[in-house]
Amino acid sequence: MSQHDWINRRRFLYGGGLGAGAMTFDLLRHAEATGAHPTHHAATASSVILLFMSGGPSQVDTFDPKPELERLAGKDVPESIARTVPKIKRAGLKNLMGSPWTFDRHGESGIPVSTLFPQTARHVDDLCVIRSMQHNNPVHGPGECVALTGTAAGDRPSIGSWSLYGLGTANESLPAFVGMNLHTDGMQFPQAAGWGSGFLPSGLQGTIVDPAQGIRHVAMPPQTNARQRRDQLELIRWFNRRHLEQFGGQNAQGQSELRARLESYETAFQMQTSAPELFDIADESKQTRSMYGLDQPQAKTVGRACLLARRMVQRGVRFVQVRVGGWDAHGNIQGNHTKMAARTDVPIAGLLADLKQRGLLQTTLVVWAGEFGRTPTMEGRGKGRDHSPAGYSVWMAGGGVRGGQIIGATDPLGYVATERPVSPHDFHATLLHALGIDANRLTYNHHGRDEVPTVFGGQAVGEVFG
Amino acid sequence: MMRFLAIVIVFFVVTCTALQPLDAADNPVDWSGDWTRSRSGGVAQWFEIHGTGGRNNPLRRPLAKPFDGDQLYVRFELRYDASSIDTPKNGNGEFLVLWLDEQDGGDTAGHNGGVPNIGLHVDGDANVFMARYASSSQHFSDIQLQGDRVYTVLAKIARSQSGGDQPYDRLSVWIDPEITDAESPAITVASSKAIRSIGWIGFATGMKTEPDDRISVSDLSLATSWTEAFGIAAPTAPVVKPPPPVPTTAATVSFADDVYPVLHKHCFQCHSGEAPESGLRLDCYDDLLNQLSPRDADASHLIALVASSDPAEQMPPPDDDAGRLTSDEIRVLRTWIDEGVCWDHHLLPTPTLESDHWALEPPRRPPIPTGIPTDRMRTPVDAFIAQKQQEFGTTPADTASWPTLQQRIALDLTGLPASAFPGLEQATSHEALDHWIDQLLCSPAYAQRWGRHWLDLARWAESNGHQHNRPRRHAWRYRDYVIESFQNDKPYDQFIREQIAGDELPADSRCLEATGFLAAARYSGNELDKEIQRHDILVDVVNTTAKTFLGITLECAQCHTHKFDPLTIRDYYRLQAFFTNGQPGNLLLGGVPDQASSWIKTRWQVFDTVHARLVDRKRAAGVPEPVLVIPKSVVAGMNAQERKAFKALDAAIASIPQVWGWSDADSETIVAPHEMRWPLTRDLKSVAELKTYLRLRGDPKSAGPEVRAGWPAVFGPTPDHVDSRTDLADWIASPQNPLTARVWVNRIWQWHFGTGLVATSGDFGTQGTAPTHPELLDWLADELIASGWSTRHIHQLILRSQTYRQSAAVSPSNQDADPECHSLWRWIPRRLESEAIRDCVLSVADSLDDTMGGPSVRDDLSNSSHRRSVYLQQQRDRIAESLTLFDSPAAVTTCSRRRVSTVSLQPLYLMNSDFMQSISQRFAERVRQTAGEDRHAEVAFRLATGRQPSGEEADRMQHYLQDHSLQSLCLVILNLSEFLYVN
Repeated sequence: MSQHDWINRRRFLYGGGLGAGAMTFDLLRHAEATGAHPTHHAATASSVILLFMSGGPSQVDTFDPKPELERLAGKDVPESIARTVPKIKRAGLKNLMGSPWTFDRHGESGIPVSTLFPQTARHVDDLCVIRSMQHNNPVHGPGECVALTGTAAGDRPSIGSWSLYGLGTANESLPAFVGMNLHTDGMQFPQAAGWGSGFLPSGLQGTIVDPAQGIRHVAMPPQTNARQRRDQLELIRWFNRRHLEQFGGQNAQGQSELRARLESYETAFQMQTSAPELFDIADESKQTRSMYGLDQPQAKTVGRACLLARRMVQRGVRFVQVRVGGWDAHGNIQGNHTKMAARTDVPIAGLLADLKQRGLLQTTLVVWAGEFGRTPTMEGRGKGRDHSPAGYSVWMAGGGVRGGQIIGATDPLGYVATERPVSPHDFHATLLHALGIDANRLTYNHHGRDEVPTVFGGQAVGEVFG
Repeated sequence: MMRFLAIVIVFFVVTCTALQPLDAADNPVDWSGDWTRSRSGGVAQWFEIHGTGGRNNPLRRPLAKPFDGDQLYVRFELRYDASSIDTPKNGNGEFLVLWLDEQDGGDTAGHNGGVPNIGLHVDGDANVFMARYASSSQHFSDIQLQGDRVYTVLAKIARSQSGGDQPYDRLSVWIDPEITDAESPAITVASSKAIRSIGWIGFATGMKTEPDDRISVSDLSLATSWTEAFGIAAPTAPVVKPPPPVPTTAATVSFADDVYPVLHKHCFQCHSGEAPESGLRLDCYDDLLNQLSPRDADASHLIALVASSDPAEQMPPPDDDAGRLTSDEIRVLRTWIDEGVCWDHHLLPTPTLESDHWALEPPRRPPIPTGIPTDRMRTPVDAFIAQKQQEFGTTPADTASWPTLQQRIALDLTGLPASAFPGLEQATSHEALDHWIDQLLCSPAYAQRWGRHWLDLARWAESNGHQHNRPRRHAWRYRDYVIESFQNDKPYDQFIREQIAGDELPADSRCLEATGFLAAARYSGNELDKEIQRHDILVDVVNTTAKTFLGITLECAQCHTHKFDPLTIRDYYRLQAFFTNGQPGNLLLGGVPDQASSWIKTRWQVFDTVHARLVDRKRAAGVPEPVLVIPKSVVAGMNAQERKAFKALDAAIASIPQVWGWSDADSETIVAPHEMRWPLTRDLKSVAELKTYLRLRGDPKSAGPEVRAGWPAVFGPTPDHVDSRTDLADWIASPQNPLTARVWVNRIWQWHFGTGLVATSGDFGTQGTAPTHPELLDWLADELIASGWSTRHIHQLILRSQTYRQSAAVSPSNQDADPECHSLWRWIPRRLESEAIRDCVLSVADSLDDTMGGPSVRDDLSNSSHRRSVYLQQQRDRIAESLTLFDSPAAVTTCSRRRVSTVSLQPLYLMNSDFMQSISQRFAERVRQTAGEDRHAEVAFRLATGRQPSGEEADRMQHYLQDHSLQSLCLVILNLSEFLYVN
């Protein structure tokens, strides 16, 4: 394939009119010329698994121990800290509440993890815990948009779409960006912007799949057999090629789109085989299934999704987003987080272990994050905690991440990030950095503005990798 | 409540309200002492009344103090034993009244002549319910007394004019009232001669009441409001805290003497004038403000920069001649900021914006180019196109075949294939096509397709978006309004006025449905910060209005002066000011029943009562402030009586036609409730008081100076009297507006040809593309205005043109001269939009349900609908799979042009989905019924593509049919590019 063709090919894969900034174009040329991975700098990860904990896990009950809370339980937030708390709704300053869990140090690094996550804790030497995430939107929907797209409005591309825009696909017979929305029974409906492509070409949006069903419409109807399908595709191809020849013409507008249509049938045909294979976990050993918690009623939903995430990464899917709903612990932090830990701890630990034993963790960035954290104070009188984006914890592992380290800190109550605050834009830049992309040079011209994933700029947290 | 029940069981019931306020002295009406009974009375769970054959007052009671409020409700239950009832025919009928009088007067007092009497009396041959002041002013209901049945009697005694010395001259009576009946009493009677205060209430019998009559009364209660009469306490007015006063400090620094010299010395060298460093000028008030947090120097970016010790950040830069600021200079700036950022507008006036950008020049009607071969000219459009082709050195393609044109016209205008219009398929001359175009332009199918184009611009949807994404059940009326407007070729200027200010128009042209355009904004129901909530909506409205009608990207100026176009942050908020005093809601439409307002008012009374109770309860339990109670909890916290009333009211309100529209206090619309966790205020009067402020850096929490309504300054000064949305609409819809007509004809062009004359149809600014045919654009804009803003006229000019009727054939020489086809040397095929794909699939299978209008329908596994796609439910984030897969917009922001994505999930859907499988089966059935077996392939192909297959194509299909079913072939045909493209 000539270089020119390759570029065109990218154009139609993205739905035509790439209109990208010079960077992407150069990357493509670079990739074509050298066959190397087309990146700004050496990538440390080729895939991302983003474990998105929707609802807002509490930092002081998971990865950010605050013994001071125990001491001040029932008291108000002291003035010295209260005045640093952003004046946003829901930032309760009364009635501090200690964590119902204790924290133990784990691994060689001795990073403390609460007793909520005994299994994940065993991998702590692979985790880089960032305790100083911070933004200012305390509402689930817009907060989720901030966490996954950079702004609250829900009209910008998701971090997954940006990743795909920067990297392209590695397996054309599977969608390159797959989302799974699990446990969506609560009030926090998945925000479509979280896997949307915003102003980027719509072909870059995430494909939402049900882990139990797989990709929709992949299965041929029962009355269609393989031969018939082959003949159908052959006849479609014959007609569509004629149509392309008649209306295409060299370089004519719309031609790449028509050719993309032809190719999409080939890919669809491949997907009919590759997608069911991906979702069919019959060949996974009992031990593997057990590792992901598939034999535990509470864990099996997330477990299956995590196992599928590993299978996707193995097959070249670039970005897997597993959204686990239900962390919104307003009324009863103990009950809620215990339930959520039962859903996620074993599967996530299993994913880390499995990726590691297969040598995939080196090239797969695994990220655990919610849209915000929770207040160190009690909300109302129900022993729950309200939303709080002023300081919360996330972690990253694999894909070049230096594990066993903690970045940033919050105040003695865990309310506000005080050391090395990390914004969602920095967080996005960090994800892209692992993929070899400089977020501030990945541009897409929209309405005359060279848009970047970090909106107004954000810097990768270099220590994550150093 | 407990008390109420207990008394019913024990004895005669007297309650004032279910919820007695703690301090009875505050109660506007209450009893004094026990009941006074006449010597002929009765005792039971019910109070039993017997007659005496003469005037008697068996039961009466004084009030604690004479009542002199303006209205009093009295309610009781009444039952007659069947055996007690006689009529004028078989005896002499019945009589019993409840009276309200100033005085008692003893057992046999008359209580008539200006005394409200409510009860039973003879009217003709029947015993009916009656209300009267005197026998000369008595009215009867047509409700006849039946025995052994409990009636609830409710009466309202009121003054027509407020005031303690005014008579209670209005009496209304309801029998068995529902809470929705406030405006529909069974009996009303008025009398100018009426008592002026109420001291005693009692029951009276008369000559017709016999000693053996068994009449029972019970549950007598008094109330001062309608809801209270239904056992629902009046809401307590919430305590409104006044906003904290804005701190005022005497200015100790002077801008001219202290601040200006510092800025001038250290900043202006780079950051002033028209081409400042980094596009940032500090000699302009608004732009400098954007670098500050007034009254908070600590939080001000400017201070952070000048005080920074980081060489990479510090301003002026370390190596700059301007030199670092001294600590005294920094202190001056800090004080100036903390004191509120005063400015000397004479010293540094806000610079005027000027622009020579083409789109801001008034359009001038250019002459139609001459010297074009007449055989290439069908409308003047062709002359402009031909002129440009001469410049490019391209030659137009030949006329397309008749079947191609039939299919093209059908798809383009109606989103349906030519086979949906059998007559069109006979049109084999230009004139015949012209005729068909005129017909189609008046068809519902045209309006449904082109209305859908408009809905893209309006980012219209039927849910609020954001996290909770609650449905907007009445939003469909805007969709129908749009479709109807296209079908009637509504003048575009009127279309604009209605959508921006339909609620403000004079009564005869008022159009609330149209305001669904503004109201289509997303609205976060989970936002507790009311300022942010409102701001987000206003931002949406301003951005959409500016882009839809004017084709400008004003959204950039939300945070800072536009980097490219002559639009400032002040322009942004001045445009916002037109909308600040309005908000979205369910607006009741014409033909509203009289009771509507009272239903809504009562509904809120019930709600507020329970809400206040729950808040009090939580507060008493020690829940810290602010105590929040969501609507769902309010409904859950209602007692049975309240819930029954609430549901009845909600059902009654929901039955009134309404639209999700936009209104303000001035438009005097009646606004019905909408379901939302944390809704906007429902007090439009308080919204009318809101002011508009410049929001520094676009942050709703950083209010800058107040601004008044106006359009962007680059369009010239806004006259002083301008302040309403009607003014804004008039300015936009004016022939003098340089953008409006150009933007609209360009959009029409884009939807016909796939690309506009200005390719960036939503951006006519300097970052947009220049028009390929500026004269044609201006000529069409002028034609639009001259035709009375007729969209249909522009369609005709375009569709009748030779340019439109070219074939899509590619010519190598043209290809070399103009590879992007800017000179329109051929027709450029384009894929159909998602809606048209689905509609065409249904149409060829003869399965399209062409029902027009009305509430949207779902199309999913549990409910399949074959109506046109424009009628499928448009819930944000949940738009039908068949639509999103083919690039339906998400209805979040205005969409000027659809994307076309080509992904493998599309073929999977088109080949494997249940929908396509079942439709291809229906398609095959249709073909079988239409033609003999030897013609199946040909007929199927023609139905879908509008043309006969060539010999080779027919052979291929025949060959396929030897091994496979007709249904399978039909599925193949529905997957062809030719079927999915406008060719």
